[in-house]
Amino acid sequence: MEALLEATLRLAAPLLLAALGELVIERAGLIDIGIEGTMLTGAFAGFVVAVATGSPLAGVAAAAVAGTAVGALFAAFAVFGRVDQIVVGTAVNLLALGATGAGSRALYGGAPPSAPTLGALAEGPLAELPWLGALVFAQTPFVLAAWALALAIGVVLARTRPGLRLRAVGESARAADAEGVSVPRVRAAAVLIGSSLAGVAGAALTLAQSDSFTEGMTAGRGFIALAIVIFGRWSALGVLLASLFFGCATALQFRLQARGVGIPYPVFLMFPYLVTLAVLALATGRARAPADLGRAYAREAS
Amino acid sequence: MLDGVSLEVAQGEVLALLGENGAGKSTLMNVLAGLVRPDAGGLELAGERVDLAGWGPRGARDRGVGMVHQHSALVPAFTLAENLGFGETRAGRWFRPSAERRAAEEQSRRFELEAPADRRVEELSPGQRQRAEILRALGRGARLLILDEPTAVLTPGEASSLFAAVRRLRDAGRAVIFISHKLAEVEQIADRVTVLRRGRVVANLSARELGARELGRLMLGRDLPPLERSGAQPGEPRLALRGLSVPGVREASSLRGLDLEVRAGEIVGVVGIDGNGQLELEETLAGVRKPSGGEVEVSGRRVALRPRALRRAGLAHLSGDRERAGLVRGMSLAENFILKGSWDDRRFFRGGKIDLGAAERATREAAARFGIVPPEPDRDIASLSGGNAQKLAVARELDGDPPVLVAVNPTRGLDVGSARFVHEQLLARRAKGGAVLLISAELDEVLALADRVVALVRGELRVVPPGADRAAIGAILLGAGGA
Amino acid sequence: MSEALLALFSGSLGSLAGWTATLRETAPLLITGLAVALAFRGGVWNIGAEGQLLAGALCATAVATRLWEGAPALWLAPAVALAGAFGGALFGALAGALRAARGVSEVISTILLNFVAGSLVALAIHGPLQEASRAYPKSDPFPAAALLPSFGRVHAGLLAALLLAALGHALLYRTPFGFRLRAVGLAPTAARFAGISPGRMAVTTLALSGALAGLAGAFEVAGVTGQLYEGLSAGTGYTAIAVALLARLQPLWVIPSAFFFGALEAGAAAMQREAGVPAVATQIVQGLVILVAAGASIRRRAGGARAEAG
Repeated sequence: MEALLEATLRLAAPLLLAALGELVIERAGLIDIGIEGTMLTGAFAGFVVAVATGSPLAGVAAAAVAGTAVGALFAAFAVFGRVDQIVVGTAVNLLALGATGAGSRALYGGAPPSAPTLGALAEGPLAELPWLGALVFAQTPFVLAAWALALAIGVVLARTRPGLRLRAVGESARAADAEGVSVPRVRAAAVLIGSSLAGVAGAALTLAQSDSFTEGMTAGRGFIALAIVIFGRWSALGVLLASLFFGCATALQFRLQARGVGIPYPVFLMFPYLVTLAVLALATGRARAPADLGRAYAREAS
Repeated sequence: MLDGVSLEVAQGEVLALLGENGAGKSTLMNVLAGLVRPDAGGLELAGERVDLAGWGPRGARDRGVGMVHQHSALVPAFTLAENLGFGETRAGRWFRPSAERRAAEEQSRRFELEAPADRRVEELSPGQRQRAEILRALGRGARLLILDEPTAVLTPGEASSLFAAVRRLRDAGRAVIFISHKLAEVEQIADRVTVLRRGRVVANLSARELGARELGRLMLGRDLPPLERSGAQPGEPRLALRGLSVPGVREASSLRGLDLEVRAGEIVGVVGIDGNGQLELEETLAGVRKPSGGEVEVSGRRVALRPRALRRAGLAHLSGDRERAGLVRGMSLAENFILKGSWDDRRFFRGGKIDLGAAERATREAAARFGIVPPEPDRDIASLSGGNAQKLAVARELDGDPPVLVAVNPTRGLDVGSARFVHEQLLARRAKGGAVLLISAELDEVLALADRVVALVRGELRVVPPGADRAAIGAILLGAGGA
Repeated sequence: MSEALLALFSGSLGSLAGWTATLRETAPLLITGLAVALAFRGGVWNIGAEGQLLAGALCATAVATRLWEGAPALWLAPAVALAGAFGGALFGALAGALRAARGVSEVISTILLNFVAGSLVALAIHGPLQEASRAYPKSDPFPAAALLPSFGRVHAGLLAALLLAALGHALLYRTPFGFRLRAVGLAPTAARFAGISPGRMAVTTLALSGALAGLAGAFEVAGVTGQLYEGLSAGTGYTAIAVALLARLQPLWVIPSAFFFGALEAGAAAMQREAGVPAVATQIVQGLVILVAAGASIRRRAGGARAEAG
């Protein structure tokens, strides 16, 4: 039980980080399906810099910067150019897949080295405490950061004026504009912040869950993060719970797999996506998305 | 749009800006509110020249210009407190819901404008929503308040309480610009009137100098003869609602067992404030909303409430909203003309193919008959003015003389000439023995056209006695009398 | 650098082998590009051509190697193609049904179904469809009767693809169905009031789009590889989005657009073989093409706004 919870927290962290990033973006009224590519770019940039400098922390910083850069590209087209967000997101995903794949082959040929990773918060006696040890001290900083960010984002959205403005832009861009809030600026800021989180989420894959980069290694986690935001009903707490659900589902999957219960391997591969589809089918009905989600905004001259 | 317009308003004065739809009133006000930048000209506030190059919504607000938009500019999913709070630049970074709610309630008391502070704006009545918006402008220290067609969504009773509030604000030394195309209102509230026509100021005078008739002539540039209508000679019932119940967008807008008959050769008007079931009634009769009980008969036969079945039974649907009227931007006039017939209209769709030539011929004919400009069938409908697009919708719906016409706010947003055209078409339909159900938020429109009037209040129909005046109808709409 | 460019050219348009490779790559891109273009025109964001293609290939393989492997060519080849279309349509319709009945965004469901389809292929070739010796993760080779006739190394699927582009154009602009599809895509509310149900249209459109993508999958296994294995489609269904957008969602323009990306794929493969430049870099080009095509729409809009204001 303790081990299952430990694995749940560990596996949920990258999903939670990416979903929080998408949450910030969606609350401002944009759908960023490029979150998958953003995450992949973060995973790659974090890996490259960590390998080059020997410092996993430098890697995390690089992942955040790379994520922000991808976000800037998305914002340039989707916010300022008002190009359809699905189209821009698709382009971002293709670009990220191509660039990281080509970059990885160019840098490491077929055999990427091992990266230095971020280990557990504490070792020794602290990590051996019952429950607390496995659930807090044995976890990587990514887990702790993800929880802290969930809390922070929840508070910022509900209890601060910038958070209120961000939500206003997502709910009614026209109303926000009439009140003197710059819709493009708020949206671009949301994309940059959200994308940096997605970049860090990618780094959690290369610098904590494994120590290596493989092509396309996010394997749809960014898309699952999209579903988590819907399942979590566009709230920070909901996103936290939903990502724990997915973390738990993945942990269970690994357990069954390890036990070798005679279920063919590809069934396990399919599992997270089927769970996501099922959850979406059951959850979408009553959820309330930001009213202006996915709509480009242009002031009408009438 | 605007051509060398000058405008002045003093403290403690209500200036009415009068003009028909499309005269440029809203554009002018959007310039003041910082939403539209003018090519030339200047602006002075309290004697100080404003640099228009850097003029934007926030600057306008900080300089004391408060705008109350025609379509609410509040965030629907936010409470009043949140709406007051999000744009506030002087307060700190933190937003404390309970403190902000108390502040909102305090403001509401101070300005004597009642609006609940802790409910989502989308749950408020139109009157409450408007008061909330005025509160927000005043809370920002607005010295000049601009009200854009403020009575369009109000009951007569709510309108007179708005007028009282406007007078209080004026007496407290604020300047108010009151935009309207309704002459009666302007007479009632304004100290001074500026009349706008086709982007130019055509008159600027004291309200007491001229009567409504004279103002009307100034606004339109011509006298409109009154609509001609013969006496009603109603025949057989053509459209009948029997115990029609429909779940609504909100509880208050669900239709509860409506019974109504519209006979051949008569226009029945349904008055009411938006949000009392108008949308649900329209959607049910257009076949896009499922009823929970009751039935609808067209020409004595029960019809399935689906778009195609209703159309086949002879019920046509006309709406003042382009989308709800079934006009597709990005498609040509001809394609729009044949849009509703894609399942069964053999003139244009035969053997699994579209006869675009036939469609273009029919459209050209309709354009000539209804005066659609430009009369080019292959032109994108999005490039037409609202009035001309609406004429195409009228042409399409009246094509084939349907026995029943349901018209919903059919002149919303149209200039006077186009609105007039639509009214004449409705009367012509009636003269030819058609049954017309007119659902409209414009009381004047219904009173001018309808042979019988009913009111839709909280999803129920109330009879409006013949000859009832505005005050009596207002009481019915509020649910006070008439029941 | 120049070596790489030389390889890119000779591998695509600079040699006979290059041309055949280009045309072979063009066929699936043309059909999936059409699938995406039709869906987008109908207001449905089908990002799932990849999964639908795989589902089609899977069903085609099941028919060719298990269900009807002894049938004569006259029957088997069409049956294989139909099975492919059916598999793709099933996946597309599933996403459509989820949207119509449960309000699930087809953007997310089609993406997720791509992963599901990939896993199903893996499952099949490790299980029921695995080749007789059970040593390799791939299917039995197709019987000769199931293979598409080919001319040199270009299979008949390319001809079918060209025909489909013409049919797609006719469908969109000449038939009542295409008329309704465009109406829903342009203005769903207006279409609903005009008697066209956007929900039902979404299911139909996704099924049609999926059928096309599934057909492309069947042509790949029956025309090019002759058997099913993992990695059959290296992102064809994603490239299809770039193909459709570059063609500005016009069925006839999908032909040159698919040819362009086909040449790019063929050339990139040669570039990787001969100059060691990774072929995945083509995805960068695809992403850029989408952004450039999108950028063009920004310029058009800006021009239009100026014209209106003036």
